Amino acid sequence: MDSENEKSKFIQLIEENKRIIYKICQSYCPDKNDREDLAQEIIYNLWKSGRQFNSEYKFSTWMYRVALNVAISFYRKEKTKTAAVPIDEVLHLADKNHENTEADEKIKLLQTFINELKALDKALMLLYLEGRPYIEIAEILGITETNVATKINRIKNNLKEKFTDIKN
Amino acid sequence: MNIDNLQDIWKAYDHKLEESRVLNMQSWVLNLKCFEDLQKQKAKAKLNRLATLKKWAVFLGIIWVLFLLFLIAHSLVFSKIAFVISAGAIAVITSIGVAMYIRQIILIRQIDNSENIIYVQQKLAELQTSTLNIPRILFLQSPFYCTWWFTPAWVSSGDPGFWFISLPIALLFVYFSLWLYKNISYKNCDKKWFKILFNSPEWTSVIKAKDFMNEIEVFKKDMA
Repeated sequence: MDSENEKSKFIQLIEENKRIIYKICQSYCPDKNDREDLAQEIIYNLWKSGRQFNSEYKFSTWMYRVALNVAISFYRKEKTKTAAVPIDEVLHLADKNHENTEADEKIKLLQTFINELKALDKALMLLYLEGRPYIEIAEILGITETNVATKINRIKNNLKEKFTDIKN
Repeated sequence: MNIDNLQDIWKAYDHKLEESRVLNMQSWVLNLKCFEDLQKQKAKAKLNRLATLKKWAVFLGIIWVLFLLFLIAHSLVFSKIAFVISAGAIAVITSIGVAMYIRQIILIRQIDNSENIIYVQQKLAELQTSTLNIPRILFLQSPFYCTWWFTPAWVSSGDPGFWFISLPIALLFVYFSLWLYKNISYKNCDKKWFKILFNSPEWTSVIKAKDFMNEIEVFKKDMA
């Protein structure tokens, strides 16, 4: 990936997937300042791993693997600083011109619940929420497809309970 | 609040991110110049990381071994046999510790983040926890710090200072070093002596790595 053309292609890929990278950073890094470091770390590792990109995998599988591995390692290093992720900042930016809607509340709650999950469960749920097929989630995580389905159901049920508790 | 449409809520979050233009503020992904700078920053960050405890330990360990070898080379006479054996043993054990550190650093660098998450995280956590083997080995050298001044003449003179002070102290160190070799392990991490001995950030992360390995094992289990 050394030529200018390849660099441009890489940047285009990052641009296309920046929302995913941002959401991974948001979920694994509570500190806003550190979050940019994590994003850089992910992009750097994507660039570095690009040389070893194995075409037998889909690009998204490869990208999720690298991004989530870097994020989990970063999260484990920084865990001592862990605090509630201030997701309000995203909503705050969006809310400048709008009233706080029910949709915002839902996003906020979902994001809060995801942040409370353990590192690996968090990865699983992020992939599920991104709409990745179970077979791809299994490939990214390195567990069986059945296990993916069971775990997702279990986490969804937990979330459901939490949503219900809040509602009541 | 309907939980059945989690993916829709997530999509709404996507939309919100787009709307807020928060992503457009991430200038580091948007142009090549920034990306080049990013690479330079990362190279710098890696150099900074070289200054971590492990790398300093390797550096100081090598210097220490070279110094010991220098002293040994200039002490090859019968009267200094205890010093040569002690310094030799310390040099060998330190070299093993240094080699273990270097091996860990190399293995950590070789880890490929594009492998599946369980594999990579398990490897990283295993490497971290194996760090505990290094002090186990290094403690084995402690008795030799009590024997380097022994001389054949002192031993044969029957001096009570040797038989009743120096030798028992050396044997006590042999006992403690073997005891630590046997007992330094994750299963004793909640013991008071362990916490006193390994009360630094490096060791805290090793203990946490073991916890994470347990978390991985639970996650891997097929729940079906």
